[in-house]
Amino acid sequence: MTAVKPSSADITRLLPRPLLVAVIVVLLVIVLGPVLYMLFASINSDVAVAGGAFFPTELHLDNYLKVWTTVDLGTGLMNSVIVCVAVAIVCAFLAVATAYVLVRYDFRGRLSFLRGLLGLQSIPGTLMLLPVFVLFSSTASLLGVQIIGTRWAVFITYLTFALPFSTWVMVTYLRGLPKALEEAARIDGASSWRILTRIVVPLSWPGIVVSGIFAFLLGWNDVLFASVLTNPETRTAAVALQVFGATQEGGAIPLYGQMMAASLICAVPVVALYLVFQRYLVGGLTSGGVK
Amino acid sequence: MSNPTLAAPEGATGHESGSPAGNTPAGGRPGRNVQHATPRRKRKYERNRPLWMLLPGGILMLVIIVVPLIVAAIMSTLDLDQYTLQSWLQAPFIGLQNYVEAIVSSSLLRSIGISVSFALIAAVVTMPIGLAAVLATQNKFRGRALVRSLFLIPYVLPAFVVGTLWRTMLQPGGVVDSTLGAMGIHTGLFLNGPLSYWSLIVVQIWTSWPFFYLLVLAGLQSVDHEVHEAAAIDGATWWIKLRSVILPYLRGPILLALIIAFLHNINAFTLPFVLFGVPAPQDVDVLPVLTYVTSFQSFRFGLSAAMAICSLVLIAIPLFIYLRAVKLDSGEEEQR
Amino acid sequence: MRSRIALGAVAGLAVIGLALSGCSSSGSTGSSTSGKVDGKGKTLDVMIAANSLYPTEQQQWFKDVSAQFQKETGATVKFETFASANDELTKIQTSVLSGQGPDIYDLGTTFTPTAYSTGAFVKLTDDDWKKVGGRDRFVPATLGISGPDEKNEVGIPFLSRPFVMAYNKDLLKAAGIDKPADTWDGLADQAKKLTSGDVHGMAVAYADSFDPWKFVWAMAMQQGNTILDLKSKKATIDDDAVKKAYETYFGWLTDDKVVDPAAIGWKNANAVAAFADGKAAFLPMVSSSSQVSLDKSSVAGKYGYAVMPTIPPGETKLPSDGKAAATIISGDNMVVAKYSKNQDLAFALVKMLTSTDNQVKYTKTFGDLPTNADAAKQIESGNELIAPILDAGTKAYGTPFSGAWGDTQLALVNVVVQSIPSLSNGSVSSSDLEAKLKTAQDTAQSSLNKAK
Repeated sequence: MTAVKPSSADITRLLPRPLLVAVIVVLLVIVLGPVLYMLFASINSDVAVAGGAFFPTELHLDNYLKVWTTVDLGTGLMNSVIVCVAVAIVCAFLAVATAYVLVRYDFRGRLSFLRGLLGLQSIPGTLMLLPVFVLFSSTASLLGVQIIGTRWAVFITYLTFALPFSTWVMVTYLRGLPKALEEAARIDGASSWRILTRIVVPLSWPGIVVSGIFAFLLGWNDVLFASVLTNPETRTAAVALQVFGATQEGGAIPLYGQMMAASLICAVPVVALYLVFQRYLVGGLTSGGVK
Repeated sequence: MSNPTLAAPEGATGHESGSPAGNTPAGGRPGRNVQHATPRRKRKYERNRPLWMLLPGGILMLVIIVVPLIVAAIMSTLDLDQYTLQSWLQAPFIGLQNYVEAIVSSSLLRSIGISVSFALIAAVVTMPIGLAAVLATQNKFRGRALVRSLFLIPYVLPAFVVGTLWRTMLQPGGVVDSTLGAMGIHTGLFLNGPLSYWSLIVVQIWTSWPFFYLLVLAGLQSVDHEVHEAAAIDGATWWIKLRSVILPYLRGPILLALIIAFLHNINAFTLPFVLFGVPAPQDVDVLPVLTYVTSFQSFRFGLSAAMAICSLVLIAIPLFIYLRAVKLDSGEEEQR
Repeated sequence: MRSRIALGAVAGLAVIGLALSGCSSSGSTGSSTSGKVDGKGKTLDVMIAANSLYPTEQQQWFKDVSAQFQKETGATVKFETFASANDELTKIQTSVLSGQGPDIYDLGTTFTPTAYSTGAFVKLTDDDWKKVGGRDRFVPATLGISGPDEKNEVGIPFLSRPFVMAYNKDLLKAAGIDKPADTWDGLADQAKKLTSGDVHGMAVAYADSFDPWKFVWAMAMQQGNTILDLKSKKATIDDDAVKKAYETYFGWLTDDKVVDPAAIGWKNANAVAAFADGKAAFLPMVSSSSQVSLDKSSVAGKYGYAVMPTIPPGETKLPSDGKAAATIISGDNMVVAKYSKNQDLAFALVKMLTSTDNQVKYTKTFGDLPTNADAAKQIESGNELIAPILDAGTKAYGTPFSGAWGDTQLALVNVVVQSIPSLSNGSVSSSDLEAKLKTAQDTAQSSLNKAK
């Protein structure tokens, strides 16, 4: 051993310190620059923003209050949160289960399934809009179950659209997990379900969190499907925001201030959720039980 | 060797389940497991396969994605427009005419070219940025959680907000133009003309690099501490350690992220739509905008479906070839 | 142990399920009635544009309308808003496809032909017109875009929003100009006199997705060219009249130099902002909705509206075959969906909304002009600012009533969009323009050929 024992941090550091700092600073500037512009624009007057100002010329802090009445942002946020959290949870779980089978077991059609998953992601949304609508409305007329207009419509849609990708994330992640723990458990007589829930899931939190976040964001940002599948009570925040951006024919300036304010407000829940789940992203594998 | 006393019913029984060809999930027959006196361990546990776990996801994807896809394919063979939409099943059947029109007389091929090149460049350039961010935030430092969350913001902002934001910044006489002008650089129009292509790429990179970051982050966590220790003992410099030891671990997530980013960029609709508006300047007439306009502004639904399916085919084929070559879907463990 | 997990999962799913079931869908219920309109217990679903200028007032208006309607018929009204015309069109397509959706759509006038072409909206018979209060209660000019001809109308005029020009009274006075010219050439000359320093004569939004085609259409109409000749099923875009229109439109920037060079990238909002800042003397192609922004700006009280020129470029008086088109017929029509199970109820609502009192109240709150003739007379008195807007409304002409108009409109704008790089380099060559006009002509013609 060397005379001075390097700290654990030193060992796992991947970039030399100065480079590290430089990277972080540069990235923060790139990210925060436009965001700062948004912040300034949200308290500026709309006319000034349209004219291209950067720093606020007047202070319109009331934009943050007005957004709640201009578009019923409260309902939109609530709907978005309900649907997206549900999608994230269910999607992450289904993804783990599906990926587990795909990675650990062999069966006829496994490769096709995997390839199919990847292929499904290349399907453009604009192609699917009308057919999905046809599907849901046929269910309504044939089975009498009204889907369009309820939160189920967007829930099912987002869940299904997020599945291929989330499953792939888990597949990639699970491949990196050593099988030893699972093998030991199987020797001890555990069922596949037990192995999945007791061993695989706790070990793959980073992957689960990442799949969950993506699924969440897919639903959070979607506008195309939400605008046709929801009604005023089940409208998501993304659709509500559209009102601000709509260009009005005939001389009305878009409400830039309120739009930027509302967008920042909509970004907050996601960033907050990420802050909460961050610790699950860090952790890696704990040895023990295997070696 | 202990006798597996299985507490609950398992999935498929011991023999092979005859799954139909194609990518439908192999139908696991849920049922009672057959107890064997001495379990013979096969190579990959062909027995006790919980194939039923594939069912929920598989069924969802089948019903909500594959079925509408088939509907879309049918629509692409019909002369479906605003006049015939009301009873779409009775719209006149015109076979492959839509496809012919899409390839020959519309701007489909040019759009595909623009979309593919844009998607590729954006995905490839995003990678080092996301990677650098992951590497830089590997170790704990004060405020790391905050920095990581801030990094996420461009990705979290809704696409149409990003579009409006950058459109406002890039307009002639806007913030970017004035600042560059003050420094003596006159670049011309950002939102129209030849430069618009690069503006789209830059904005897309700005908004999607955190995606790379997230994906690779998860992968980096799976690197054992012992690996780091071993590298330290060997006295490897950071560059060598990075290249020879760490990056191979990240190969999987990086490759996946590249492919996903590529596919996502090809199908990205909202950003170019909001950034450039409609009609789109020729240099940024990307595929999703073209299909959207054909569908919802010209109301040529049949033609639009044919265009989208054409592009699907044109993209999926090279994709699968690439995948085969890269063995991403083989599932064999290359690393350990 | 395992049962606990299962229980937890079931409970979790149940919670999720409950949260999701929140509200069930909307949609009209009940069967149709006959005879006197009785809507007890029924709900009408109306789709209308979100008014981001007066959001709280709009919410209040929704409540008031529902309350009033309930008193009259026992039925309530539920309003659904859309953000942009594209959103509404998409909603219409999906509703037409599935046969379910709002009962009434409040539609921009230029999109009425598109809705008509789906065949999914009720063509008003004489009886139906009686149910909405009679065809003659409306300002005649507003009926021009209700259908291809009188016998086949689907649109009931609800609001009028003619396009006019705003001008800066102070700047004009300082330059010794009395009032804006009524010829396009004259206007350009005036603009030249008004351009000095960082103030330009005109604020024009070349990069807007909607404005450009209206200029071209107006100038072409004034020369006798209707862009689409429906009788002979021919598009007339590659024609000298249209070419002259584009040349004039581009010329303001390249030759006359009366427009800010940055205008190549302007959307309508930027042009309004420039005018509101006092940096432009004329702001053509705005409607009464600009009042809100302008009254909050530095030119409040210093601006006025005027009818846009009706004499085409290159002329000093209207040619014999020209049409004095001051503006397109702009505003909102209401259409009733054929799939609606409450059509009579829907007509009753439209009748209520187009009654004199309701119309006057609406104008006073939101600024859009009424289509009810009596109401129009009432608000005219004493309001100097909007008098020119009302005047323009009487000089409005409809865009060609065809399902092909959407594509044609897009093609006309596309000529401008693809010319912008050349514009920023100083000029658009004649041959270049002709080539682009040919492309637009082909697009419009093929669309017209498909029109039924």
